[in-house]
Amino acid sequence: MKVGLFIPCFVNELYPHVAMATLELLEGYGVDVAYPMEQSCCGQPLANNGDSSGACDAALRFTGVFKDFDYVVAPSGSCVSHVTHHYPWYIADNADFQRLQPRVFEIVEFLQDVLKVDKLPKPVHFPHKVSIHQSCHGLRELHHASPSELMIPYQSRLERILQLVDGIEIGQPERRDECCGFGGTFSVDEADVSVAMGRDRVAQHEATGAEYIVGADPSCLMHMGGIIRHNGRAIRPLHVVEILTGRGGAA
Amino acid sequence: MKADNIHHPDAARAFLTDRARASWHDQAIWFVRQKRDVQAKQLPEWEELRKLAEQIKAHTLSKLDDYLIQFEENARRNGVTVHFAADAAEHNRIVHQLLAARQVKKLVKSKSMLTEECGLNPYLEERGIEVIDTDLGERIVQLRHEPPSHIVMPAIHLKKEQISELFHEELGTEAGNNDPTYLTHAARANLRQHFLSADAGLTGVNFAIAETGGVVVCTNEGNADLGTALPPLHIASMGIEKIIPKLEHLGVFTRLLARSAIGSPVTTYTSHFHRARPGGEMHIVIVDNGRSDILGNPDFYASLRCIRCGACMNTCPVYRRSSGHSYSYVIPGPIGSTLGPSRDIKKHGSMAFACTTCGSCSNVCPVKINLHEQLILQRKRAFDAGTLKPAKKMGLLAMRFLTQHPALMDAGGKAMRKVVPILPAFVKDGTAWSRPGRDLPEMPEHSFKELYRRRQEDKQ
Amino acid sequence: MSSSRDAILAKIHRNRPGGPALPDIHAVPFITFDDKFAAFAGLIRNLGGEAIWLADGQSVADVVAQRWPKTGRTVDLTTMQHEEVFTPHDWHDVDVAIVPGELAVAENAAVWISHPDNIFRSLYFLTEKLVMVVPKDKLVDTMRDAYGQITLREHGFGAFISGSSRTADIEQSLVMGAHGAMAALVIFC
Repeated sequence: MKVGLFIPCFVNELYPHVAMATLELLEGYGVDVAYPMEQSCCGQPLANNGDSSGACDAALRFTGVFKDFDYVVAPSGSCVSHVTHHYPWYIADNADFQRLQPRVFEIVEFLQDVLKVDKLPKPVHFPHKVSIHQSCHGLRELHHASPSELMIPYQSRLERILQLVDGIEIGQPERRDECCGFGGTFSVDEADVSVAMGRDRVAQHEATGAEYIVGADPSCLMHMGGIIRHNGRAIRPLHVVEILTGRGGAA
Repeated sequence: MKADNIHHPDAARAFLTDRARASWHDQAIWFVRQKRDVQAKQLPEWEELRKLAEQIKAHTLSKLDDYLIQFEENARRNGVTVHFAADAAEHNRIVHQLLAARQVKKLVKSKSMLTEECGLNPYLEERGIEVIDTDLGERIVQLRHEPPSHIVMPAIHLKKEQISELFHEELGTEAGNNDPTYLTHAARANLRQHFLSADAGLTGVNFAIAETGGVVVCTNEGNADLGTALPPLHIASMGIEKIIPKLEHLGVFTRLLARSAIGSPVTTYTSHFHRARPGGEMHIVIVDNGRSDILGNPDFYASLRCIRCGACMNTCPVYRRSSGHSYSYVIPGPIGSTLGPSRDIKKHGSMAFACTTCGSCSNVCPVKINLHEQLILQRKRAFDAGTLKPAKKMGLLAMRFLTQHPALMDAGGKAMRKVVPILPAFVKDGTAWSRPGRDLPEMPEHSFKELYRRRQEDKQ
Repeated sequence: MSSSRDAILAKIHRNRPGGPALPDIHAVPFITFDDKFAAFAGLIRNLGGEAIWLADGQSVADVVAQRWPKTGRTVDLTTMQHEEVFTPHDWHDVDVAIVPGELAVAENAAVWISHPDNIFRSLYFLTEKLVMVVPKDKLVDTMRDAYGQITLREHGFGAFISGSSRTADIEQSLVMGAHGAMAALVIFC
């Protein structure tokens, strides 16, 4: 099994340790992982701003870069969701994409659904309380958890995977899945609303008594992290792979 | 009517300057979302019910002209006069002619977003007809000369102190008495006199039943009922999309509407009008006003399934933190942000971007409209119509280029990581990202690509 | 005017999308209640109303008199000889209206009102207190059941009425008595 590591553009530049943790986690399970150097951006910022021509080219490029892998895995629900759920708007008829689409996974999905893991590669002791940040695209497009709006049985991938960590205490914020307000370019186009939402979200996570906000989307964590630092708050954002690889405590 | 130049980010920024007030607005409306959840949870069939509602509406739209003709025939058979209006101007003209021919001096209205859309009130007032909005929230905003900020809770942007002050001036209530019960009952006494002295009543329509030719109006206050039971003339204005095929389908929609809208199992009054009251006459005005264009657009016709419950507003984190007056179209929030841009992308383009694409709206929608996806698709129209600001357009074109040239993207990323840490604070704090109170991310020494390359070299 | 009609319908016909067949709304099981009256009575308490299951030997008049010892003008549509009026405005000072309800709905405390002998429906909305009298065996689970049974008897008019008139338009504070009845009483007999 050959896995292509898809590292979203901003994660590459700003969160290399999250990318590295993803790589090590996969390798820890004995997976053969390669990171194609010629990858760039999945095109979501273009798509979300109406540039369908640019978005289409980005989708074709992504497909070309990753088409020969058995699986493609990324540490970002939003970017994966863009590929699996929104590329069809642009390149639905592309045969390479049709073959690729069902093989693109967010990291937690991949661990649970493909590798079907029931323990971590190395035991991790993390005696801290975390508050789960359920990012929107992972939630409502990839169905990583049951959205609070839908009257369906409750489940949460993040909670399930974190239960493999020893000593961890898992909390949920009030309004368990309200958006943090990042929203891609929304965060600068609508900066005031974005920050107002983020402040509320951080406060709700803090109110759980957690030391860490844990999520599967670096973009939401980046946004909340900026608000946390600006206001000198103590809570810290962590990507789930940082905890699963035992890097969490060092952050 | 709304001002012509509302730009969502600017209006939202102004709204958010009063943080306590904005926070109250968010919580008051979130409370309605929670009440909706409580109601929905009580029905094991909730998701099935949404599916049925979606299918009934989707089916109806696929044969909409047939059902409209059936509705018209049955309404005529009941003795109701049916009019068709191609646009807002024709709607207003028809209503005015009906009123003028009967020397109507005072019209009492119940809630109708359609007449807001058509600008009926100012049209009639210019022609000497007194128009009284009778829904309490609508009356409040009418007295303040402002548009509703929510389609179900028109005055949700106001605090009781403001309403007390308004009623003191307009209705002579005690100064400083802010008690909602007192204020509501004062409005009741005042509006009762208007109901008793009105010459005509106008209502919106929640559902129009093709099979029976009747219309259904849902209110909690009873204002549509008083407004049509007393005056001799009842005019009902409806968009073409209000049709449902059969009476029994109300057994689906009335179960969803109030639960979704206000978290109540049903509205107090679910009234079925098939004829005028004895001695009176009833007219129905069926309005297109751009809807048939939306019907022909594969990306957006699902928005015509909307039953105007407002649940998408209540769940929308952006709406709750910016208020309805920050949206340029008469209908705010997610559904307004597809309907408005469908009508005029140049004027309402900013609405399509007032969205994080979180998708909560699509999940609460009782007729399962893919709202957040429609907003992304509206952005494509905004981009193609050239409504993006030049700086943003430039940025996107640069991004488009870099996406195809990873080496240049890497160089740009590296430059960013080196430059940002040495920027003076005033530059950092002045970026669009940081201005409202959010620090830039910390810049790591190396990108993952650099680390990975080194790792591969070390391996070999 | 008719040209607008034809043009609109023609355009709709041109533009209409494909769509599914009408679903069978009876194919899906809906909620049922073991004790429909308990469900109804529990709900209406929060909707500005009250529900009474008439005991043997008790009359509607007894219940109304007990509930409101002193009343003003009372109109009782459940009796054969009730007051007639000539305009809908003549009901403007009614204090208590007692009206027959065809059926009641457990899931939302609504009562179907459509009375063939009533000329002016304004009575239901002008009265201060609305008493709806429903046969004990006419209590259904959901609105789907209700729509299968109701008939429009009153000059093309009929309404489901659930509790009393209310509004929350001022700061989301629930206030009973917006425009219609300030109190609602449903008597099952």
